[in-house]
Amino acid sequence: MVRFGETLALDDLSLEVEPEERVAVIGASAAGKSTLFRALTRTVTLAGGKVTLGGRHLYTLSKKELKDVRRRVGTIYQSYNLVPQLPAGVNAALGEVGDMGSAKTLRTFLTGPNRALAKRVEAALERVGLAGLACQRTASLSGGQQQRVAVARLLVQRPDLVLADEPFAAVDPLTTERLVEALFDLNGEGATLVVNLHDVLIARRFPRIVALREGRLVFDGPPEQLTEEGLDRIYAGDPYGTGASTLEGGEDTLHRRHDSVRISEGQDGISAH
Amino acid sequence: MVLVVLGLTGWSFYGTEFDLVELFSSTRPMERFVSGMFPPDFSAVTLRQTGTGLMETFQMSFLGALIGAAAALPLSALATQEPSTVGASRTERLLRAIPYHAARLVINVFRSVPDILWALVFVVAVGLGPFPGTLALAVHSAGILGKLYSETLEAVPNRPVEALRATGAGTLQAFLFGRFPQGVIGLTSLTLYQWECNIRSAAVLGLVGAGGIGQQIIISMNLFDYSKVATLVGATIVAVLVVDGLSTAIRRRLVY
Repeated sequence: MVRFGETLALDDLSLEVEPEERVAVIGASAAGKSTLFRALTRTVTLAGGKVTLGGRHLYTLSKKELKDVRRRVGTIYQSYNLVPQLPAGVNAALGEVGDMGSAKTLRTFLTGPNRALAKRVEAALERVGLAGLACQRTASLSGGQQQRVAVARLLVQRPDLVLADEPFAAVDPLTTERLVEALFDLNGEGATLVVNLHDVLIARRFPRIVALREGRLVFDGPPEQLTEEGLDRIYAGDPYGTGASTLEGGEDTLHRRHDSVRISEGQDGISAH
Repeated sequence: MVLVVLGLTGWSFYGTEFDLVELFSSTRPMERFVSGMFPPDFSAVTLRQTGTGLMETFQMSFLGALIGAAAALPLSALATQEPSTVGASRTERLLRAIPYHAARLVINVFRSVPDILWALVFVVAVGLGPFPGTLALAVHSAGILGKLYSETLEAVPNRPVEALRATGAGTLQAFLFGRFPQGVIGLTSLTLYQWECNIRSAAVLGLVGAGGIGQQIIISMNLFDYSKVATLVGATIVAVLVVDGLSTAIRRRLVY
């Protein structure tokens, strides 16, 4: 249970995810998706209940134990959250930061990633279509490219669990497609995926969909069971839609929300919300 | 609020014996002083001494800023308030608080004591000359930069740092790879500005025997050689303006 002042952001939410599962989390704005993400990364205070990762209670771990657990958890965010001043290759190399001791940290800080790490970074960047851009300053990359660097960081880290908070909200459809495939590849290699999504079409590609509404779980099952009426219930009253343009409020336009906006190939940049 | 300011103003005027009439009525000593300064002394001896003094002042200010910055960096790193881990135990919070407060204390001591007082202390410790002056500037700069650095580092966007911690980065790593790169341009700019300030301070530290052109100014003043004072002061003004200009030009070029 997570409370922000008067508001119960997450209330009576019980969720179990098996290893190597692929779960999409959907819901209207302020339904609690991001709060769930933050609860899973221990970046928000719990007012009640508990979070266990791999059998360990996340919120009772010591600093060192928490660091060990976090090394195995990869995260990507809607706003990339890379370090803009660093080169793309260094940002990607930071996937391994949890495994670096103090000596390696200082060496990497002063002279950059060592050869073995640099090779893995180059391979990861190639996999996301950014070959040769390792030395490019991250701030000079487009939004889509930056999110690809963030996924490259995941590929370097090879985590057991991937948590993503609306990773494709600010990314064009072509890049989205590429990144979804990269995430599914990671899943194929053994990572569990829990992905917050605003786009229901992408969510339908996951074998399990979980829907939140006002901090509560309102749907948990395969995409076939998710009907239009179910979606209406989940998104009813949401003024911001699921990635389509802002609505003036109207029940009949609910269906339009579920289509993703197709922009022509190759256009990078922030897609319209 | 306005009443408070007015009240403080009046009280300060009273306490400092502020007297405009006195300033404008005591023209005679000022006239003697100013007329003694013109024409300024441009003799070879004086110019050479001016040159040496300026060089010394420049060296003191530069080294003071450099050493100060080097000391300020680790101090400020400790003195930066990291958003504490959610759910951290009381022991953890305490362990984090100790270096933080210790660093803040050191920084505050360094910067609260004016550089000229530090100069006096170091002159007693190591004797006269530019060395105690440099030490004084280094210590004072370390304090000022320590505070400014930590404020800059705290103001840096937090999300990339949190993202690194979520991947398992420790405190040092999150700082080196997350916080520091985002703040480095700001830190450089602050250091350059501190160099500017140091030039002005260095000129004054000589008044207590800590080297630089200030030492020659005070000697000339005591010998009533006002024309020489004019040259020295004029040269100091030029030097300060030059360093100011240089520093501003470099800072403007820094890309954020």
